[in-house]
Amino acid sequence: MRQDLDLKTISAGAGLNAIKSSTGEKVFTVFNYCVFILIGITTLVPFINLLAKSLSSEDAVVSGRVGLFPVGIQFDTYKYVLQDSLFLTSLKTSVLLTVIGTGLSLIMTTITAYPLSKIRLRGRKWLLLMFVFTMLFSGGLIPTYLLMHNLNLVNTFAVLFLPAMVNVFNMLIIKNYFEGLPDSLEESGKLDGAGNIRILIHIMLPLSLPVLATIALFFAVAFWNDYFTAMIYITDPELKPLQLYLKELIVSSSGDFLKNNVDLAINMTPQSIQASSILLATIPILLVYPFLQKYFVKGVLVGSVKG
Amino acid sequence: MRKRKSMVVALLGLSLAVSGCGGGASKTESPGASSEGTKGGDGKKEIRMIMQYGLFDPAKEYISQYINEKTGYNVKYEMLPAENGNEKLNLLMANKESFDVMKLSSEQFYNLATSGALEPIDDLLAAHGNYINQAIKPESWGSATIDGKKYAIPETGTGATVGEELVVRQDWLDELGLSIPTTTDELYNMLKTIKEKKNIIPLTGSKDSIYGDIATTFGVLTDWKEVDGKLMHKAELPEMKETLAFMNKLYKEGLLDTEMPINTAQKAIEKFTTGKAAVYKLAWWNAGSTISALNKNFPDAKVTVIPYLRGKDGKAVTGVDTKTNWFIAIPKSSKNKEEAMKFLNAKLEPETFKGLAIGKEGVHHEVKDGKYYPILPKFNDDLGNASAFITGVDEEKYPIYWQARVRKDPVLQNYFETFQKNAEGIIVIDPMSVAPPIDAISKNTLKLRTLLDDNVLKFISGSEPLENYDTFLQQWRAEGGADMVKAANEWYKTKK
Amino acid sequence: MKPGSKKLPVPGPNRRGYFPSLWSDIWKEWDLYLLLVPGVLFILLFKYTPMYGITIAFKDFNIFAGFADSPWVGWKHFEKLFTSPDFARVFQNTVIISLLKIIILFPLPIIVALMLNEMKNMIIKRSVQTVIYLPHFLSWVIVSGLFIDLLSTNGGLVNKLLVSLNLEPVAFFLDNSVFRSVLVTSAGWKETGWSTIVYLAAFSMVDPTLYEVAKIDGAGRWKQLWHITLPGIAPIIILMFILRLGNILEAGTEQILVMYNPVVYNVSDVIGTYVYRQGLGNQDYSFTTAVGLFEAVISFTLVIVGNALSKKYLQRGIW
Repeated sequence: MRQDLDLKTISAGAGLNAIKSSTGEKVFTVFNYCVFILIGITTLVPFINLLAKSLSSEDAVVSGRVGLFPVGIQFDTYKYVLQDSLFLTSLKTSVLLTVIGTGLSLIMTTITAYPLSKIRLRGRKWLLLMFVFTMLFSGGLIPTYLLMHNLNLVNTFAVLFLPAMVNVFNMLIIKNYFEGLPDSLEESGKLDGAGNIRILIHIMLPLSLPVLATIALFFAVAFWNDYFTAMIYITDPELKPLQLYLKELIVSSSGDFLKNNVDLAINMTPQSIQASSILLATIPILLVYPFLQKYFVKGVLVGSVKG
Repeated sequence: MRKRKSMVVALLGLSLAVSGCGGGASKTESPGASSEGTKGGDGKKEIRMIMQYGLFDPAKEYISQYINEKTGYNVKYEMLPAENGNEKLNLLMANKESFDVMKLSSEQFYNLATSGALEPIDDLLAAHGNYINQAIKPESWGSATIDGKKYAIPETGTGATVGEELVVRQDWLDELGLSIPTTTDELYNMLKTIKEKKNIIPLTGSKDSIYGDIATTFGVLTDWKEVDGKLMHKAELPEMKETLAFMNKLYKEGLLDTEMPINTAQKAIEKFTTGKAAVYKLAWWNAGSTISALNKNFPDAKVTVIPYLRGKDGKAVTGVDTKTNWFIAIPKSSKNKEEAMKFLNAKLEPETFKGLAIGKEGVHHEVKDGKYYPILPKFNDDLGNASAFITGVDEEKYPIYWQARVRKDPVLQNYFETFQKNAEGIIVIDPMSVAPPIDAISKNTLKLRTLLDDNVLKFISGSEPLENYDTFLQQWRAEGGADMVKAANEWYKTKK
Repeated sequence: MKPGSKKLPVPGPNRRGYFPSLWSDIWKEWDLYLLLVPGVLFILLFKYTPMYGITIAFKDFNIFAGFADSPWVGWKHFEKLFTSPDFARVFQNTVIISLLKIIILFPLPIIVALMLNEMKNMIIKRSVQTVIYLPHFLSWVIVSGLFIDLLSTNGGLVNKLLVSLNLEPVAFFLDNSVFRSVLVTSAGWKETGWSTIVYLAAFSMVDPTLYEVAKIDGAGRWKQLWHITLPGIAPIIILMFILRLGNILEAGTEQILVMYNPVVYNVSDVIGTYVYRQGLGNQDYSFTTAVGLFEAVISFTLVIVGNALSKKYLQRGIW
């Protein structure tokens, strides 16, 4: 509705600068590409540096001589990491967690968001307030731990995703998107005699792929990157996800930690191995985004609006 | 339709009921954890042990098989995380989970012992602790004794060894015709010449290791010092101000790395190995990688360890803290306290302990001129993480056994031995090393150490003028320093 | 649960008191409420059940005594926080750093998303999209290391540049006047790309026929952007802004803990880092909880006020 209004204001006095702006537009286009290529380089360089470090000799890494290219090239670090059973088990846990957790959370969050997007829903305000409240207030770690213990979730795979399944932040984004879908969609469904659940599944969800893809990415990345949950609830090495392994690898090689533990200091993980572990632990999740990108198409709504 | 409605109501009601129950949940005893009983699957008795962090899976280690075999117990290990280990331990304790043995840091031990979570072990020791009583020296028990009762087996580590010493690029000294400094003045002159002639960072260092060789020449050794029969914390010593004044002079004149407040050890080593810095306080455990990287970059580079500098009185000293590293405790919540003690005792049976520390002769280690040398790679594969499993050491033999770990690498060994030789005869042991847990001290130590180190960096870098040291000291005292010193002295009086 | 309606609810719009009509409305949309059940159950179980933990802010919590047996102490921990000599400085730092981040870093992803949206070359566009969110996956420890190298006075790129321009080198990490900009810049570099994603998805909401109409009317790109695209993504911007307000007292503790050092405490010590240092060695759960509660109350107030203002002036809000 507001878009229509805005559109009228443009049409009123737009024609005049149509030609004038085209040179400006070209300049802008060139500027735009340059800016992004520059930004792209700054964000890519650290990864190239990590890659170079992971392929360099430890001597070169220790003395900080590795820039964008490996110095004293070697592949042993990768052989070492890929043969490390701790790394491999935790990789398996992480992949499983990310796939299962993302799937279930997406369903759960979507079905929570949909009813809350309906302004006619009685009690909507209080329900939303109840959800938002949990974003800011929390009972703290100890009661939560006791709860997990009482539910027999400590040291189980389920504890890694169950508590995170209803994410209020993500729920609000989906709800926001649902609110933007035209009411006429729902009305036409109602006319065909469909109930709310059928309308959600058959009409709303197909039109919501961009936001579902986004939230799937958010969940996937959150599950992949989460080490804290596992650090608190998991002691079984078989259930430790990759990021916890990585965190511990890095923390246990840091000066602060080693100061008090000479025996660990002698066994310190070489920096080139740390670099290759970081890289190997990041690449899988980086592959998710390009895959989801194809759902970020424009104009999902074209033609779906009847009348 | 009606059914559906009642279902919704029922579900909502259930959720409320669940949330209602939760409030009381903390009081209920947890039956799950302890119901495993004392017997493992294969008829062996089971022990649950909390261990400190290490990068390995305890169940899969050679040494855990070895322990199970030798002691006849089936041990289940739970490892604390590398970060937030104390938090995790607290959660386990809040949950009243039943563990039989815990390997604790001093901070964790103090915390649990003063909260009454640990079992006094005197009787258990008398009944089942013959090997333990042999292995631990009488004076070591002090650190684990509260009000006359022993609450843990103290695990001392490597004995009185020093970890770090200043090293210098000898090739540059030769080039500039300089000799190894023996006092702080000579050090200052050397640094100044290096700065003028080579325009590099004369002395680099990291924020994690502020004190050391320079501070000792002024008389700042370890945390505590005896002055006229009374204990003083290093923060209160006038020597501290002298040290800071000297360090600040170095910093101002560009003789000390201006980035020291943000340097990690890694960064400082980077500067040293790329020839950007001439002097660095090297830890022997970093010597292997540091020297190897330096030689790769500068094949002609030579490094000399600077012997401890002489102070105003013409004598060199260094301080070592021989505080107990780890405390092996039995929690009150354990259901198998006697078995736990028998298990710990079995691990200190001399032959078993030797195997735990350095493995089998001919397989894991060999003996050359009376010294133990590791056989690589078998030693690393099987025993690399063995220290994490140790629960109390034979205090006579372990410092000797342990050195096998240092001999994994000749460079490492060389630096370790040089450092120890330099320190021979001039080590002053921290008077609080054998102190029992004292509430005011254990509560404040870490917080006040951070406060002190933070401010020391400010004074060195001059972002806070040294005239304000007394204001800082007041704050330090107010935030618990005064209590700490008072409590320390109360204990010190009773000791004499 | 009020058993308000023994009688069958009366269908239709005629209202007979609050509860009967409530029940009839719920009855009409029973399937919508059914969808809500799992989500509501989950937060009741996992979020509300442990809420009793907040009470320890008013107790001297001892982990071994438990929640019930720890003694009540009233406002003691709040008094400790407010009367601490560092509180004013720490609170001020938190708000300043947070506001800087909101003012500078909140609009940035929107601008970036809009600029990306203007790119026509799909290959470059997608590659850029894929690349700019990479830093999100680097931990703060690594990012901090990168910035220390980049800004070092000992061979850092930026200072080499400054020197070659005949300017004085700047010790960015040790200088109270610039350290906050280091914090903001590094946070922007790390998270901007990631934050654009939510806006990129929102573009799909804009009906492309609007652009066609606008082109026919001769509207240039700038006008299209200003009058079609931006209003199209306004709802998500508003949502993100209100939620961002709720985080105002979280100035980036994780980042600051890694990047700061004593020399710049004066400008960078925030509530989170202060509480962290206070808690070293003696986990003071009660104090930490009190601080958390203080933060939550302020945040919640801001969210509610923000939402109310947004509803009043922009006709949109979370609820």
